[in-house]
Amino acid sequence: MSVRESCPVTPPAARSGSPRPRLVVVGNGMAGARTVEEILLRDGGRLWEIVVFGDEPCGNYNRVLLSGVLSGTQPATEIFLHPLSWYEESGITLHAGERVTAIDRESRTVISATGREVAYDRLILATGSRPLVPTVQGLKGPEGEPLPGVFVFRTLEDCRRISGYASHSRRAVVVGGGLLGLEAAYGLQQYGLEVHVVQQSGRLMDRQLDPAAAAILLQVVERMGVRVHLGQRTAEILGSDRVRGLAFDNGTSLTCDMVVFACGIRPNVELAQECGLPVGRGIVVDDHLTTADPAIFAVGECVEHRRMTYGLVAPAWEQARVLADHLTGRPESVYTGSRTTTHLKVIGVELTSVGEPEATEPEDEVVQYVEPKRGIYKKLVIRDNRLIGAILLGDGERAPYVTQLLERGTPVPEERASLFFDLGGKPGAVSPDEMAEDATVCHCNGVTKGDIRECVAGGGCSLSAVMRATRAGTGCGSCKGLVRVFVDRFRPKGTVEPTPPLGVEA
Amino acid sequence: MTATHCPYCALQCGMNLVPGDGGLTVVPRGDFPTNRGGLCQKGWTSVDLLRHPERLTTPLMRERKDAPLRPVSWEAALERVAAEIRATQEHYGRDAVGIFGGGGLTNEKVYLLGKFARVALGTPSIDYNGRFCMSSAAAAGIRAFGVDRGLPFPLVDIPRADVILLVGANPAECMPPIMQYFDEQQRRGGKLIVVDPRATGTALGAALHLQLTPGSDLALANGLLHVAVRDGLIDETFIRERTTGWEAVRRVVAGYWPERVEGITGVPRRRLEEAAHLLGSAETGMVLTARGAEQQSKGVDTVLAFINLALALGQVGRPHCGYGCLTGQGNGQGGREHGQKADQLPGYRRIDVPADREHVARVWGIHPDELPGPGRSAYELLDTLGMEGGVRNLLVMGSNPVVSAPRAAHVEDRMRSLDFLVVADLFLSETAALADVVLPAAQWAEEEGTMTNLEGRVLLRRRAAAPPEGVRTDAEILVALAKRLGRDASFTAEPRALFEELRRATAGAVADYAGVTYERIAEENGVFWPCPSEEHEGTPRMFLERFATPDGRARFHPVEHRPAAEEPDTEYPLYLTTGRVMQQYQSGTQTRRVGALSGAVREPFIEIHPITARSMGVKDGDALRVVTRRGVAEAPARITPAIRPDTLFMPFHWGGAGRANTLTNPALDPVSRMPEFKVCAARVELKVES
Repeated sequence: MSVRESCPVTPPAARSGSPRPRLVVVGNGMAGARTVEEILLRDGGRLWEIVVFGDEPCGNYNRVLLSGVLSGTQPATEIFLHPLSWYEESGITLHAGERVTAIDRESRTVISATGREVAYDRLILATGSRPLVPTVQGLKGPEGEPLPGVFVFRTLEDCRRISGYASHSRRAVVVGGGLLGLEAAYGLQQYGLEVHVVQQSGRLMDRQLDPAAAAILLQVVERMGVRVHLGQRTAEILGSDRVRGLAFDNGTSLTCDMVVFACGIRPNVELAQECGLPVGRGIVVDDHLTTADPAIFAVGECVEHRRMTYGLVAPAWEQARVLADHLTGRPESVYTGSRTTTHLKVIGVELTSVGEPEATEPEDEVVQYVEPKRGIYKKLVIRDNRLIGAILLGDGERAPYVTQLLERGTPVPEERASLFFDLGGKPGAVSPDEMAEDATVCHCNGVTKGDIRECVAGGGCSLSAVMRATRAGTGCGSCKGLVRVFVDRFRPKGTVEPTPPLGVEA
Repeated sequence: MTATHCPYCALQCGMNLVPGDGGLTVVPRGDFPTNRGGLCQKGWTSVDLLRHPERLTTPLMRERKDAPLRPVSWEAALERVAAEIRATQEHYGRDAVGIFGGGGLTNEKVYLLGKFARVALGTPSIDYNGRFCMSSAAAAGIRAFGVDRGLPFPLVDIPRADVILLVGANPAECMPPIMQYFDEQQRRGGKLIVVDPRATGTALGAALHLQLTPGSDLALANGLLHVAVRDGLIDETFIRERTTGWEAVRRVVAGYWPERVEGITGVPRRRLEEAAHLLGSAETGMVLTARGAEQQSKGVDTVLAFINLALALGQVGRPHCGYGCLTGQGNGQGGREHGQKADQLPGYRRIDVPADREHVARVWGIHPDELPGPGRSAYELLDTLGMEGGVRNLLVMGSNPVVSAPRAAHVEDRMRSLDFLVVADLFLSETAALADVVLPAAQWAEEEGTMTNLEGRVLLRRRAAAPPEGVRTDAEILVALAKRLGRDASFTAEPRALFEELRRATAGAVADYAGVTYERIAEENGVFWPCPSEEHEGTPRMFLERFATPDGRARFHPVEHRPAAEEPDTEYPLYLTTGRVMQQYQSGTQTRRVGALSGAVREPFIEIHPITARSMGVKDGDALRVVTRRGVAEAPARITPAIRPDTLFMPFHWGGAGRANTLTNPALDPVSRMPEFKVCAARVELKVES
């Protein structure tokens, strides 16, 4: 490609015979489908003829909710963001269950596994990522078929298979003690299995937590009945007809009926690589999500942007917005990277981790609060008076405040502890005796405690007299009880006039 | 003794006015079914304005733009106004003369104002301050239910709702006597959930308070619905039998899982789930919104998101259930129905629908082709004043946009750039002070007319006293002008005659008043529209059998969250939200002049969280400056933990240096053209005395 076009601002001329230029999207997951939806929201359906290829036979579903599906808290039918009908209603051609196997950049054509060739004017790669399975012995059976009882946890189909196998298993091992591994472990527990988590590194969730937080999380997870094995590298899967156990490289082993690999993900870059696009860990894109070929874009987990790859949905959706802007004539929109927030979706554990879990510069400021017995750990990493990282374990109430502060990049309050605790005090009730003389008793009519004292002193000795004179309690009426308390309290000793029951006046 | 209603908010509390030596006094009207005798301080002191020393009692006029306002005769004032209208229209065309009305005017006056614009002036340029108030809920209601009536049920239904979700509403402050219904609801064991960035009096009295980030209400609604779907709380039967469009909404809310919604709204996911379960498990439930959710650049979609929630839970169209909007201004409901809105004709008829034009033209005795088309919405009208293609000559009635419009300093500039400005008001408001001619108008207790309260109940305001000498009613002013413009034949200023005309004009329309008479209103303590004939009993409860859509089904609308037009950044790191205090009403033209009220809250203030205040070394009462991209406003600090640490609050009832609307963002909702009063980015600093 020698000529760099300033493409999408005005979409390229349509291919002959087609009224609109064609946009082909490879990948129908959360990034690909979201990009299409964002394009349609910007009325891009008038600009582009859109063709989508997806590996999976269904529409696009919310992958984030799969651990809920596994644990049974989330009905699988309710996770679809784009059911098959949506594509038809939106005028989009979807080739579901049809994998694209090659891209011909010269002729601008994609070729699918069924041999279908589709020409494109612009191409979006949203190929996502796939589970990383470590190289261990015994993954395959004697015939080279996958060994029954070995699973990864990525798709709705994986979820169904795990769930089906779990119902007749007794002990499961999850290889990987990260976010997904722990969520899978929790999900498996719901089937009544004994669940073990094997983590190669020395601590849980090592990408999101520091050692102290990981240690507390370990206690929390173990209290839930999950057995955790740290610093164990899986060497071999035991069993020839089906999974019988795991052997570790230190010579120990663990019997089990099933094993789920949750060891992270690897961007699907092969398609891009084979057609000669620059690829690092992911497909390399600029701030417009454009690859080295100006006719080809990439979004989502398959992307490497400013040396970063992301495995979460929020960055993918931010990228989708920017790419949709770009493809509908808004070139000023740019993607500059994302801060990522992770939540552990395990019932009974409140864990939020955002940004950097550890200080890396000498000037970085760290603020911590630890209460191991209650499973509470809170940590802030502050740089130049801005929050760059936070861990909140065991406190779901303050988490949103802290994550919002980090995402906005606004200065951190001087009292750092205010991020951990409610230092502002709660606006709330004080007892009648504690109320100041100028405190308002009847808000509707602006009557203070002092006004009532004065009125009673001036001879208003009954509730109705005070209400008539001051109008206290004559608005919404909700303060009548309190007015009565004060009338009783301020009335000179020995006055006998009874206060009529509530609610009869006004 | 005269039985009438309070001049202020949309609750329109019943009150009796009793003459005495010192003028009229207010006595409770315990038999009236909305406030049941309750009144707030504004109502009790409302008569103070009738004989107020600052009351305008003679027309004022300035000879030139740089000359002062001087008293003149009515004859001279009206002649000048008519001459200026003729001159403007001759030079710049009919559309160059415009009208800006108000949501506090009676139905009769609203109707007359719309007719005056279209028939006497022949201009499409008419809109009103209710655009800043009700327009988002109105547009959403029409889309979802086929009709916009603030509450589709009477207030007495509120206590029977097991769970109420109250969004962006602070009735304890803005509408105190209504609190008796929420109190009763909670006393009966019901639960009240309040959604508000501030821990208001209303929120503190609730079972659950979701203290969300300003501008994130839509995401919250979608998140609540996500949880309801996930946990099997939706009413499939109701959805199947009485609605359309559910699948698209179900698909959209699948993208609003609690962790994501927590990040957007700042509401802990546990609270979100708790609220969804409370509302979703309730036998009867209500979802009520007010300005907090509506005054956003996505106000319509935000309301639709809450309507989706209510519909999916089957909590609409059944007794003691429903979605409703708490209307704000005194005649906020009637004010939006009878033709002072740029796109409407009386009875909620549309100015762009041929059949509607024909019906109204017939009543007005003109050919439908003589009716102008739709005009600009309120802010767009104000924003283009004095500009090429904009209005050059404006009549303001029952409104004070210099204080109440967004980006008010700009609006003030636009006002100043007019060739000619006429203001009819009781007092020399901030807007009137800019006028070339000021016309002294009669007040609520000095004339008769109908108001339609937040329940859709048409009420009768009675005359209890004669206006002071030299003062005319708004209707008399309009009729006198029509006469001078040569279009007097079909104009009357007599309220009953106007109402008879309004009944004919609305007959067969969505907001049908054909069966409402002054006598029936008096006898029945108000009549609920639609009421198509005198035999019809009126409609206190709507939608019990069908919705007002062509197929009778309510419609779901898939809506997505998006950020506010302006989000905090490094330069403007805080949110600013604006609102009300109990003692003041709207732009304060009336209430700031009542001693007891202004004594209680004399000046504006800036609510700031203790953490934010301490970070800046601000102490309670310190003079602060709030700065936004539109300007600066000054007021003392009021330090309170009731506000979020990332948010400032300022009440908007004042003009001058403390004018909150100098700061607000006129980013408009694409459908309702509602400005984003409730959220913009701001910076706060200590005021340095120079």
